[in-house]
Amino acid sequence: MIRCEHLKVTFNAGLATEKRALRGVNLTIPQGEFITVIGSNGAGKSTLLNTIAGDIRSSAGRLYFDDRDVTALSAAARTRDVARVFQDPLAGTCGDMTIEENMALAYGRGNRGGLRLALNERLRQLFREQLSRLNLGLEDRLDAKMGLLSGGQRQSVSLLMSALQPSKILLLDEHTAALDPKTAALVMDITDQIVAEKKLTVLMVTHSMRQALDHGSRTIMMHEGQVAFDLSGEERSQYGVKDLLNLFAQIRPDGEELDDDKLLLGA
Amino acid sequence: MSLFSFLGTLEIGFIFGLVAVGVYLTFRVLDFPDLTVDGSFTLGAALAAALILAGVNPYLATLCAMFGGAAAGLLTAWLNLRFNILHLLASILTMTALYTINLRVMGKPNLALIAEPTVLSPFESLGIPNMYLKVIFVAAVVIAVGLLLAWFLNTQYGMAMRATGANPRMAQANGIVINEKIYAGLALSNGLVALAGALFAQTNGFADSTMGIGTIVVGLAAVIVGESLLNSRSMLVIVFSCILGSLLYRLAVSVALNADFIGFTTSDLNLITAVLVGLALILPHFRREWKARKAAQGGAA
Ligand SMILES: Nc1ncnc2c1ncn2[C@@H]1O[C@H](COP(=O)(O)OP(=O)(O)O)[C@@H](O)[C@H]1O
Ligand SMILES: [Mg+2]
Repeated sequence: MIRCEHLKVTFNAGLATEKRALRGVNLTIPQGEFITVIGSNGAGKSTLLNTIAGDIRSSAGRLYFDDRDVTALSAAARTRDVARVFQDPLAGTCGDMTIEENMALAYGRGNRGGLRLALNERLRQLFREQLSRLNLGLEDRLDAKMGLLSGGQRQSVSLLMSALQPSKILLLDEHTAALDPKTAALVMDITDQIVAEKKLTVLMVTHSMRQALDHGSRTIMMHEGQVAFDLSGEERSQYGVKDLLNLFAQIRPDGEELDDDKLLLGA
Repeated sequence: MSLFSFLGTLEIGFIFGLVAVGVYLTFRVLDFPDLTVDGSFTLGAALAAALILAGVNPYLATLCAMFGGAAAGLLTAWLNLRFNILHLLASILTMTALYTINLRVMGKPNLALIAEPTVLSPFESLGIPNMYLKVIFVAAVVIAVGLLLAWFLNTQYGMAMRATGANPRMAQANGIVINEKIYAGLALSNGLVALAGALFAQTNGFADSTMGIGTIVVGLAAVIVGESLLNSRSMLVIVFSCILGSLLYRLAVSVALNADFIGFTTSDLNLITAVLVGLALILPHFRREWKARKAAQGGAA
């Protein structure tokens, strides 16, 4: 379970460029729930995920995992509970290191053992098994440099890496946005598989209304650093992309146009 | 080149192999350009020489020298991590401070080790001529360090250090405490460079307050030479290519200095090295620009 209590984040506090990115977010996500997060550019979606991961410190409010107050915990310490996949396929992996080394790093999350060799045959076998799920032939290229893979391949591996160690929470920040539609669909497939297998609590930011409604069981929309609406259950199942767009319009009465309708409506 | 000067070149090449792997750790593994090494090389020599002259066992003295170097590395890391001082500037501060500290350690600008025991003393009874013994000894030390370092970089801890330099955000997302890895890496790097200084003082019989000038550039040159020769993903190959790079660099320098028709002298060395390293740094830049221009033209066509 994740519980945000009045979470606030202000960038460049006190300067002319001050930006209140989160303005008191209240959100409770029960164990095992898969939430999709939408909202226009700059709404604070990434900031919310980064704050939950610990990359960004909140300036006020509290954050709980289950009933533990983790507000003061460092990002590294939170990785015992939190795994994540970034939007940029280059961000989640080391291009200069091999596939197996990257996976070994992810395998070490939460129980880094020090001066033991990071790789061995048993682990390589495990990595091969995992990689073969992707049907990309990567299981035969364990010692290829990550930098040689395409964006989609890297993102798929990042996703597998996020699930190598047990964790409770998975944070996905537009993790299919940089991919072509076909690869994006593949990555979403694996996402659903992993989430179901590991019974994870998930926050997935997406630009695609379709994706937001098709995956998970609850959708929230962020606007100006707050949760503007929260959709679940019966009500959500009756929503279509059109209805979501109407909600968008209501929240922005000034008639501001959405940044990219095609992206929002697309697969 | 005489056999004697060839062996001398190998000896220095091996010793600077330690500098090269130290520089590789900071510049390449951690992506932390660290100039502390100019000071920590001298610090290693100064500590070893001063302690040996004070009657301390040479092995203990060498160990102390390594810890001294490690402390210098920690200071640079602390200035950078704790106070957000740019890494280059932080290392220049430490290097400058070390200049005074090294003079204090030695008590005067240079110390001579003539009849004093050194790390080589226990092996002198083996009857191997001294000029061979020195090379064999430093080669053994450097190869052992290389093997250990390659192993270390493949451990969970070492791999975490590599990730810290390659992609700190990814490292952190995988539970790696990146600051700790930077402290450890700088301590290790400068500890190795100080070991090089301590060995240099004992095989060459002196420590001098200015001996460290240009160490960083020589180390970098060795790394670059090694990289251009061997391109591998194996840590073992990479570490030993740094050492090989150092040997080749020294041989090339020694050939150039010995070729009378070129007319180079030892004092020209720093300029030549700087030009070489400069070229090695500039060429990839031009290659990128050239590629980008070609791509732009291709796009426009
Ligand atoms: N590190 C930062 N420094 C200053 N401003 C930032 C920073 N990160 C994000 N912001 C600002 O905070 C707001 C929310 O950003 P973000 O959470 O990235 O939005 P999005 O919903 O598009 O993911 C934006 O106005 C953005 O410009
Ligand atoms: Mg974002």
